[in-house]
Amino acid sequence: MSALLEVTDLRLQFGGVKAVDGLSFEVREGEILAVIGPNGAGKTSAFNCISAFYLPTSGSVVFDGKHIVREAPRIWHRLRLVQLLQSFGFYRVLPSRVTKWGMARTFQNLRLFRELSVLDNVKTAMHANLREGFWSTLLHTPGYRRAEEACAREARGWLDFVGYEGDEHLYVTHLPYGEQRRVEIARALATSPKLLLLDEPAAGLNYNEKQSLIELIRKIRALGVAVVLIEHDMGLVMKLAERIVVLNYGKEIADGTPEQITSDPVVIEAYLGVDDEDHAVDEARLRTDSDAQLNDESGSRS
Amino acid sequence: MARRLDLALKHAPLRAPAPLFDRPRAARGVFDSQTGFMRALGGVAVLFLVALPFIDASRYTMSIAISALIYVMLCMGLNVVVGYAGLLDLGYIAFFAVGAYVSGIFTTVLGWPMWAALPATVLACIIAGIIIGAPTLRLRSDYLAIVTLGFGEIIRITANNLTITGGPSGIHGIPSWDFFGWSFEDGLTVFGLEFPERVVFYYFVAAVVIIVGVIGAGRLAKGKLGRAWKAVRDDEDAAEAMGINTYVAKISAYIIGAVWAGLAGQLMATHLSAISPNSFQFLYSALILMAVVLGGMGSTPGVIIGALFVSLAPELLRDFAEWRFLIFGVLLVVVMLFRPAGLWPATAILPWLKRDRPQPPPFTSATAAVPPSVLESPSGAPDADVREGGRG
Repeated sequence: MSALLEVTDLRLQFGGVKAVDGLSFEVREGEILAVIGPNGAGKTSAFNCISAFYLPTSGSVVFDGKHIVREAPRIWHRLRLVQLLQSFGFYRVLPSRVTKWGMARTFQNLRLFRELSVLDNVKTAMHANLREGFWSTLLHTPGYRRAEEACAREARGWLDFVGYEGDEHLYVTHLPYGEQRRVEIARALATSPKLLLLDEPAAGLNYNEKQSLIELIRKIRALGVAVVLIEHDMGLVMKLAERIVVLNYGKEIADGTPEQITSDPVVIEAYLGVDDEDHAVDEARLRTDSDAQLNDESGSRS
Repeated sequence: MARRLDLALKHAPLRAPAPLFDRPRAARGVFDSQTGFMRALGGVAVLFLVALPFIDASRYTMSIAISALIYVMLCMGLNVVVGYAGLLDLGYIAFFAVGAYVSGIFTTVLGWPMWAALPATVLACIIAGIIIGAPTLRLRSDYLAIVTLGFGEIIRITANNLTITGGPSGIHGIPSWDFFGWSFEDGLTVFGLEFPERVVFYYFVAAVVIIVGVIGAGRLAKGKLGRAWKAVRDDEDAAEAMGINTYVAKISAYIIGAVWAGLAGQLMATHLSAISPNSFQFLYSALILMAVVLGGMGSTPGVIIGALFVSLAPELLRDFAEWRFLIFGVLLVVVMLFRPAGLWPATAILPWLKRDRPQPPPFTSATAAVPPSVLESPSGAPDADVREGGRG
């Protein structure tokens, strides 16, 4: 099993806040990995770095053999022009490019296209895979008609796959929340991904909807798509995940199978807290850990 | 069939499973489908345009009709930028000016025939679109509005100060369209019916506006590019996550808007045969934007209605002399109060088709697994039922 996504020492800093602080993990082909952690642990920030929405301060993200984080030459750093150049698309990979490489994502708070119908929402995601040019659209050539037909067929295939049963011509804002979640997953799948990042897919769903979500994610895995999900619902995570990465304060504190994670004292502390005495001990341990890391860093720099 | 359709898709690692069931074929009749009705309405509008010179071919009517059609073209172009792609453009008239001046200069200074100036106009508009769009479309829309506002003024002031554009007095004597010896000025006789110049030009403008302006823009909006524009308008980040290069999508909308305005500018230059910087003031940018917003952003029938309203209302209110802009303003406020999404919003469904739309499912298939005892009333959401039960 080769690694589909390799994240190495990812760091993201907003001013003095270290949102992601040296995160490393890998996702193998066709596995379900869960990323968990308390609120503010940096899960979504890490997701945004991986899908190229944020530009990390340092570190590397390699997806399917391609580097997502690009390094700008030192001269631009010195001239303080890096941000400007990156805003113009230099020395960075655009999220749309990452999607074309085969990484799809959903968002924590639903971000469907509000003024498009359900079907058009899914069709939109097929943008990069559709052979349809300017002139053929203008002249309605047979090629255009074929492309539109294929596009509708694929989109309907995905809507059926995720179990959407409503009217495809409804505007998404008219759908109940659970259905919107389904449509968002269908939309992400329509980009034809190898890796699907789901940011809290179960948030706001009721028990039954969660059960069907579990079914759906298993079905997606059966297609050969690797799934990484951020989730707070431990029941769902334990049922689904083959491997779990636990984050706290932007750092990875554990990585292993669900059984290993549930018995890990560091994880239990991060989630449940511990008694004061134990806490002091652990605090001290953590501090020495980070000190050691700092020393390491300064050592490597000099 | 699946193989044939596969040709239309690029190689992708993952294909959707085949749809589980065939969707019913969409209705195509005039009164039982939205598209059918819109097509019929379009047909009626075209018939009216063809018949208009037979009703009244006076110089005044033809002149107003031509400018109204040019407004329609302009508004359809701005609709691509503002309505579909959601980019606020406050200097749209600049592209109109570029089209008018380029065609004017090519025909008067260089002496080219009007049709030969057409590629030059299109090219100039594409270049102008790239020059103004490339650096600014990385920005979010507020900045874009300010930059386009500035661009509109720059073009006008440049035209005011250059000698090639004739300075403040502009360009005079722009010729009519002529094709290899035959010109619109010669008029046309078909089956004993004599069409004077203004009528021939009117038909020409109407044909260009309908074919390029309305049908062309409408088709683009329905295809892949149009979906990308609307996605960018609704949520730029989500569009980017769907594999749409939002920058390319925005700049393509901008360039297409520029070309539409340029073509309208060329038609206007021929229509008036003289252009001056005064015809390209900010007021007109605002007026066109108003027409689009008033009609309904992103809606073809709405924008046409808006364009006709904005171009014809001052004419119809001509009796009120100085008061007409005041009345015009009051009318606008009233319209926006009662129809804030525009006269004919893009999301509007014809009233008699509304009840045919299946309502969204009251609960998902998953909730059907809940024992019926939990769900008292079949229509309510489960939560509401539980709450009601608790109160009772």
